[in-house]
Amino acid sequence: MFQRIVIIFSFLFFVVVQSLSAQTLRYMMWDPSQLEIEKATIAKFESANPGVKIEVSAMPPKEYWPRISALAASDDLPDVFAMSSGYIQSWHADGQLRNLKAYADKLDMSKWFSGAMDVARLGNGLYAFPQNWVAPVLFFNKDAFDEAGIKYPDSNWTWNDFLTATIALTKDKNNDGRIDQYGFWAYGRYAHIEPWVFRNGGNLLTSNRTSLAPDFRAIEAMKFLTDLANLHQVAAKPQDMEGIRSKDVFPMGMTAMWVDGSWNIAHLRKAAKGKFRWGISQIPMGPNAKPATAKGYAWADMLAVSPNTKNADVAWKFIMYMTGSGRKAKDFLGGKVPAYRPIAESNAWLERDLQPSNKEVLLEIGSGTTTTSFTPKWSKWRGYAASKSGGMNGELDEVFNGRQSLRQAIDNFVEYGNKVLSK
Amino acid sequence: MLEREYRRVGFYLILPALMGLVLFRLYPIVASFFISFTDWNVFGGGEWVGLENYFEIFSSKEGRLILLNTLLFAVIYVPGIFFIGLALALALNSGFRWAAGMRALYFLPYITSTVAITLTWRWIFSTRFGLLNNLLLEFGVNNPPAWLGDPTWSLYTVVFVAVWRDSGFFMILFLAGLQTVDQQLVDSARVDGANRWEVFRHVTLPLLAPTSFFVILIAMVRSTQTFEITYALTGGGPNQSSTTLAFYIYQNAFIHFDMGYAAALAYVLCMVVGGLTLVHHRLRGKWSYV
Repeated sequence: MFQRIVIIFSFLFFVVVQSLSAQTLRYMMWDPSQLEIEKATIAKFESANPGVKIEVSAMPPKEYWPRISALAASDDLPDVFAMSSGYIQSWHADGQLRNLKAYADKLDMSKWFSGAMDVARLGNGLYAFPQNWVAPVLFFNKDAFDEAGIKYPDSNWTWNDFLTATIALTKDKNNDGRIDQYGFWAYGRYAHIEPWVFRNGGNLLTSNRTSLAPDFRAIEAMKFLTDLANLHQVAAKPQDMEGIRSKDVFPMGMTAMWVDGSWNIAHLRKAAKGKFRWGISQIPMGPNAKPATAKGYAWADMLAVSPNTKNADVAWKFIMYMTGSGRKAKDFLGGKVPAYRPIAESNAWLERDLQPSNKEVLLEIGSGTTTTSFTPKWSKWRGYAASKSGGMNGELDEVFNGRQSLRQAIDNFVEYGNKVLSK
Repeated sequence: MLEREYRRVGFYLILPALMGLVLFRLYPIVASFFISFTDWNVFGGGEWVGLENYFEIFSSKEGRLILLNTLLFAVIYVPGIFFIGLALALALNSGFRWAAGMRALYFLPYITSTVAITLTWRWIFSTRFGLLNNLLLEFGVNNPPAWLGDPTWSLYTVVFVAVWRDSGFFMILFLAGLQTVDQQLVDSARVDGANRWEVFRHVTLPLLAPTSFFVILIAMVRSTQTFEITYALTGGGPNQSSTTLAFYIYQNAFIHFDMGYAAALAYVLCMVVGGLTLVHHRLRGKWSYV
């Protein structure tokens, strides 16, 4: 009897000691479709680091942000969590991110895309680390271009080349008076407007990014885009595409060209499979830009560390593994560009046997100067996600729909945006 | 002594429910009242801003638009629900052969997932591929409206789907009310020479007054709570033309994390509902016969 008691207590003691000595890291992310990939990489990290246990959870963005915000409010953030370029400024301002500069200073930064790092450089610190980055690109229907006898877009395309192509690609195929294939498709969405603004060397914000002040190049870009719908009638109006998901318009063949985030590559591989050949190109440089002033629009998905974590060193080690050496090219689906250059520049990631066969377009964007329009409260003044009917998005939609002048829309969203930013 | 013992036991038995009520109902209600006077954004401590959030609701262009949309929604929804629900109840109150089956059919939208039915309506109302516009084109209507994408129509489209979904429920309420109408009074009126309209106007409707007022109250409250239909059908657009208060609260609380402003909006909504309830209560006392 005594022996049994000793054995039971020894076992319990062993379990307790083991659990106390094991370091458990909580990790939260917003992409459930990536969870199995993450778990496989995490398992390898745990094998390489005995005594470290990672508890990972993933939920869609709509649930992720309210959940992670509630955890932040209750001082219960996970040790490592996914952070978006759109929210990092607000989170940094509220002191919810650990400064990782001391760790990052020991790295060879040439191994990462510097543009992907910039959005996390706030004040004198580095408040998250990029895992991958994305950028809007020009998707084009190769079969439509071949049928119209037009050369595919390339990095030398100007806005005039683009306009000429959209006119030639806009067709009423069955002569019923309704356009069946538009040359282009856009509405007030950030991924539809900002790329053209930045490729024209324009800015939406003041240099200190505290207020909205679109310059003439930015206005020129917005006018160019809205004229496609209203003046040239080669772009579908947003109201005509209601009832269709915006990311389905291109794979349905309703538009020959479309600008949106490179993450859509994964969607198009399924949605356009077997329908037509397609490719990607850089957004054409604007008439008022020079190579030095034309910027790419790119932003990173990052990993951040809780300011209250008790496992900061392990958290950093985990982040390095998950963003760099522990990863394979296949972990980054479609158009998500690994922030770690050796993976991004590998043939395995370039996927030349899949569409698009020219993913190096993304590497060119990342190698140049990139910028964003993110500020604190960006989602409110920009009109993002469930708020897309408001802000700059909502105002520009009414211009695309032909119900409001561009001047009025700009006045409205600048007034509203500056009120939001001043609070 | 025994009575005090019973009271103490009774108190202990309801204590868990009472604690739940205080923790999960009363505390959030009181806390959000105080939050509405701050600029709290969930993460850090909010600063006291006084009535600034409330002023912004009533003085900003956006705030006034949202309030107007909410009022317009209620003005169309409540009468729509009332008359359609009553008409369906009167039609299906007779004992004809398929009455029971048809009652179930009309009630079906109410118990079906709102997101599922809204997505179906989104397809029906789709500008290019929608069933409705393609039918209109067949009947020679050129350029049919963009039901979801035109501010002229978007709010009415949302109201239509809400009325369609909820008519069945209010039909059931009226059917229950019709069972309380004494058939002898109806028969007496007919014997006295009243036609069907006169019987309805002078006998049935007055006796339905309590049910009618209940329906109006519920409909008014429901009209201010519209969220899923707005979210799935129009997203509040175009340019916030179909955004009502409940959806706007969601946007500010869970997209922008502007909790102070969202709390103020919630209390404005509470005051609107409270005001409508008060008016309803006064009118009920004046007009109800029972």
